[in-house]
Amino acid sequence: MATPGQLMFARGLGPTTRLLFWLLLGASLVVVDSRYHALDGLRSGFSLLLRPVREVMLAPGDVASELGGFFTRHRLLQKERDALLAERTQLLAGMNEARELGRENAELRALMQLQARPGQQTIHAALLYRGHDWFAQRITIDQGASSGVRSGLPVVDANGLVGQVSRVYPLSSEVTQVSSPDQLTPVFVERTGQRGLAGGLGQGRLELRYMPTQTDIRPGDRLLTSGIDRVYPAGIPVGQVSRVSRSQASPYLRVESLPLAGIDRSRAVLVLIAEPRVTKP
Amino acid sequence: MSAASQTRDSWRRLLGSLVLAVLLEQLPWSGWLLTIRPDFVLVAVLFWVLHQPARIGFGAAFFFGLLADFQDGAVFGQHAIAYVIGVYLVLFLRLRLLQFDPIRQAAQLFPILLTTQLVVLLVGWLAVNPPSGLALLLPVFTSTLLWYLIALFMRLWHGKGAQDRA
Repeated sequence: MATPGQLMFARGLGPTTRLLFWLLLGASLVVVDSRYHALDGLRSGFSLLLRPVREVMLAPGDVASELGGFFTRHRLLQKERDALLAERTQLLAGMNEARELGRENAELRALMQLQARPGQQTIHAALLYRGHDWFAQRITIDQGASSGVRSGLPVVDANGLVGQVSRVYPLSSEVTQVSSPDQLTPVFVERTGQRGLAGGLGQGRLELRYMPTQTDIRPGDRLLTSGIDRVYPAGIPVGQVSRVSRSQASPYLRVESLPLAGIDRSRAVLVLIAEPRVTKP
Repeated sequence: MSAASQTRDSWRRLLGSLVLAVLLEQLPWSGWLLTIRPDFVLVAVLFWVLHQPARIGFGAAFFFGLLADFQDGAVFGQHAIAYVIGVYLVLFLRLRLLQFDPIRQAAQLFPILLTTQLVVLLVGWLAVNPPSGLALLLPVFTSTLLWYLIALFMRLWHGKGAQDRA
């Protein structure tokens, strides 16, 4: 294949040698990245490079859904509006009650001289990209260090806990979903108050670990964050128990649950920033 | 057509197709479409390694592998190693692959793409944690199909026997 400008026998290294060179480089990258986490700069570079591209590539989908929305029938919209209005009334009533309870709670806490709960700030973010979920389930959102996102912050959507910020870039950040393997979330069972630890199983499933066989738990129970880890605020819905089974081999129940956050449906998420706890002298 | 403008033309086609492949991967894929999404970038890289081995090789494959690692939030080097091995296999079988018509060429590419994906699986397993399911191997089939479509398209576009000038 001697093309003009290229000598036939002028190759420097054979393909096998070059393969070995690149393999060595690749293997060292794997080690450096997984052991020493020393390649965050490279990741940030890629994220800056791809950020505009990803924003542009969101457009085709947006246009399609705009077009779809344009042809939505009037009746449907009206029905939706009525439902939303009804829901709003309910929420307003609930909010008044919650405000009242909050005031009362603050008074009681002051009376008992308990520490005030830290306030909460939120950052709105939109889902920017989703990678393959072969080894870990991560999504990229469009807010990063520049808007105050830090590694370790919880991320929620309207239905529940989405996950935890695991890598922060200047203009975007990566969120590890609750169902990702090795992602642990301290939870409690809403019905009984039993505390436990939910671990991701991959493929959009969670497992409630170390539940003794006599535990009172059944399918349909909701799991909320317990807040004892000081990472997640207490009371965020995490998942719903889908299957409870016991095996002869293990002293624990096998409790599977499904995450409540609708990652496949919703594109808007919130990053919760807990203000640093004010310690009073 | 002068040699210089021909060279410029083929460079443009090469870079254009690679950029297109990267753009396609940046679309917000989700659900089952994401599960079976072919690896556009790998197919493009291997295609050009087959047809223009002097222009694109290990270095480019390694770079695009790093890009794929970034996209999946995987450990750096996982796809890079796999892509480099894929390039090696294509170079090794190059003269053989060029003789086949599109459907047979795609059939011969299947084991190469499968090897690549198995390397991704193995490196991820060693470096991170066991993979969740074997959905990892589904893109191999769609990538092979994509290769067939591209090879067929090139064959129709350039006429029979001219695929080497692609």
